[in-house]
Amino acid sequence: MASRREFLQIGVAALALPISARTGLTPAVSGPANQSVPTPLYKVIFDQRFLSSLAFAGELRRLGAPIYGIKGDITDLWFHDLDARWKREPIGIAGLTEHGPLFCLERLAWDHGMRVVYRADHTYRPDGYMEHELTGSEEMLREAVDLSSSGANWSSRMATLLTRCPANRAQASKMTVVTPTARQPEDPEHLVSWVIAPVGAARKFSRS
Amino acid sequence: MRLPPGVSSADFSEAVKQLQDAVGPEWVFTSDEDVDLYRDSYSPFWHEQEEPIPSAAVAPDGVEQVQAVVRIANRYKIPLWTISTGKNLGYGGSAPLLGGSVVLDLKRMNRVLEVNDKNHYALVEPGVSYFDLYRYIQDHKLKVWIDPADPGWGSLIGNAVDRGGGRTPMRDHFDAHCGMEVVLPNGEVMRTGMGALPNSKTWQQYRYGFGPYVNGMFSQSSLGVVTKMGFWLFPEPEAYLTGTVSVPKRDDLVPLVAGLAYLMNSSIVLGTTSVASPLSFLRPDAELTALRAKPGGPSTQEMEHYLQEKNLGYWSIELPFYGPAKVVTAQWEYAKEKFSGIEGVTFKEGAMHRFPVDPNDLPQFQNSVAVGIPSLSVFGVGGGRSEGHVWFSPIVPMTGEAVLEAQQVFNDAYREMGMPIGPLFFLGPASNYPRCFLVLFGFPIEHDVEKNKKNRENFKRLIKVAAEHGWGEYRTHTAFMETVMDTYSFNNHALRRFHETVKDALDPNGILSPGKCGIWPKNMRKANA
Repeated sequence: MASRREFLQIGVAALALPISARTGLTPAVSGPANQSVPTPLYKVIFDQRFLSSLAFAGELRRLGAPIYGIKGDITDLWFHDLDARWKREPIGIAGLTEHGPLFCLERLAWDHGMRVVYRADHTYRPDGYMEHELTGSEEMLREAVDLSSSGANWSSRMATLLTRCPANRAQASKMTVVTPTARQPEDPEHLVSWVIAPVGAARKFSRS
Repeated sequence: MRLPPGVSSADFSEAVKQLQDAVGPEWVFTSDEDVDLYRDSYSPFWHEQEEPIPSAAVAPDGVEQVQAVVRIANRYKIPLWTISTGKNLGYGGSAPLLGGSVVLDLKRMNRVLEVNDKNHYALVEPGVSYFDLYRYIQDHKLKVWIDPADPGWGSLIGNAVDRGGGRTPMRDHFDAHCGMEVVLPNGEVMRTGMGALPNSKTWQQYRYGFGPYVNGMFSQSSLGVVTKMGFWLFPEPEAYLTGTVSVPKRDDLVPLVAGLAYLMNSSIVLGTTSVASPLSFLRPDAELTALRAKPGGPSTQEMEHYLQEKNLGYWSIELPFYGPAKVVTAQWEYAKEKFSGIEGVTFKEGAMHRFPVDPNDLPQFQNSVAVGIPSLSVFGVGGGRSEGHVWFSPIVPMTGEAVLEAQQVFNDAYREMGMPIGPLFFLGPASNYPRCFLVLFGFPIEHDVEKNKKNRENFKRLIKVAAEHGWGEYRTHTAFMETVMDTYSFNNHALRRFHETVKDALDPNGILSPGKCGIWPKNMRKANA
């Protein structure tokens, strides 16, 4: 059964096919997922306290993406930046954070006509493996299949992936990838990568 | 399409059309995708049929549209569940108590109507969040503080009518309000206090008006939809100072709290403080772990000795002082005198903050909410894949004896229920409200149906245990409103019967928030009581 979190955050009927990396999905060979236009990202959020999130930010910097560092708290980002920006126009953001910042940003985004369109939960397991539970369009999941060989570089791989998240909102699928990954000393047990993007039919409550 | 209880598909379709005519078709939500956003993110009914899911939502933009919605609901006997910004997490969020209700979402009504920094008040609509009002004050360079709830994305009106609390001298949010505009269940608009006087010049200044004071009937209430509300604001103080008082022994809690009560009831300390102990947050070392593992637990003397060896007090309180620098310095000096009779007491003075504060200095505040700046930092505390919590929140007397008794009683109850508990027991006790302590227990929400069922039973058990000792909840999640109201049972539930009489008179069709706080309208009373 889909969890409430998945249900609320993806907001479309999931295909409910827990696709593992071994189910025959083949990785995208090159370029953006199926050549779809990627979601324009106004900011990509990372958490300065966590090594994996810092590596994620480093890769984004290399790709030329606009990054914004937090230390768990999104208050400044929201009050001094996003609130005004989203009142002018909804625009996508992405990130690799703990659950709390995403929880806040998602709910704030709802009122500006946006939804979480891609989410991946990354959980360090005690057995030295990392479980990546991904929910998003099949295009994105296809792109993510090579996470299985990314090991400690998983967050850099996610950085690339998030910049390719398609702007069109496709039906969500699910996939789990488990890879041997040693836990970074500063990382929490669980991180989440995500993309929030404008959704055509969603209402915009905010007053500009 | 989901349906409200007792409403036919044809009637509901017609009602939806009329709602669309009233507020605009884009502001009536009936698709599962839209309506699901109103489900409780912290629901204790995950994956269960009992989860109360709305049938639709409607978002009016003004009081006339609210009136129209209420009249349509009356016509088709459709239950409405009013929310302002829907951020009442831990107490039900934006979800109704009765499944199939239509959510009346007021977040489009987000106008700051007036802020006065000469007599220090504001008049706002229900969709105005603490962030919104704070921004308005900053943009207009006004010399007033708000008192944000923690977190600050909620509505001033929503939090106040649910009797939420904050941290500054205006921390009792319902007590800080002055004047309401209310749409009654028949669709009529009423203004309370001086607002009933046409052209009143003191709606936000003198709260009582003339005749019976009715505002309390619209808090934690299903008797009206509050569409405007005035709030008294705190004049920006010159300075903010904190001082921490620590005492070495467990039983020192009694004189410590007695001193605190004197300072608060004398208006020397006016902000929220809470009784804390390092035993709540210390990372256990080998010695503490061994102490706790002893059969029957460690003795009080052993714990006191352990803390003394680490130069830590057994209890501490951080006193907040707001006002002119000379005054807060004198207040702190007086507080130290007041506690100096406790053997071994120690004092630690915090930094003196001056206002207005330079925006670059903001990070210096560990908790900006205490100085009137809204925040979402509580969500940045960290943790795993949290699915939320519900709050068990009884009120206990502001005495050390009561706190120690509550600690013992709740520890025993937790143990009997087989629930994990820390070495103390809760957040707080905190002085969010005058003359008493608020105690908060977070009950985790799980993915596991059986665990949630067990937690709900435990929650109900705690409500009863508290009531047996004379402690009642000040507010609760929708799932437990009936149980809490059951405990307010003096003289064969005279209070609830009074509420029901009023409810039936004002809302004969039972359209506004049926079941809220355990008060059901006549047509649903038998089925749901």
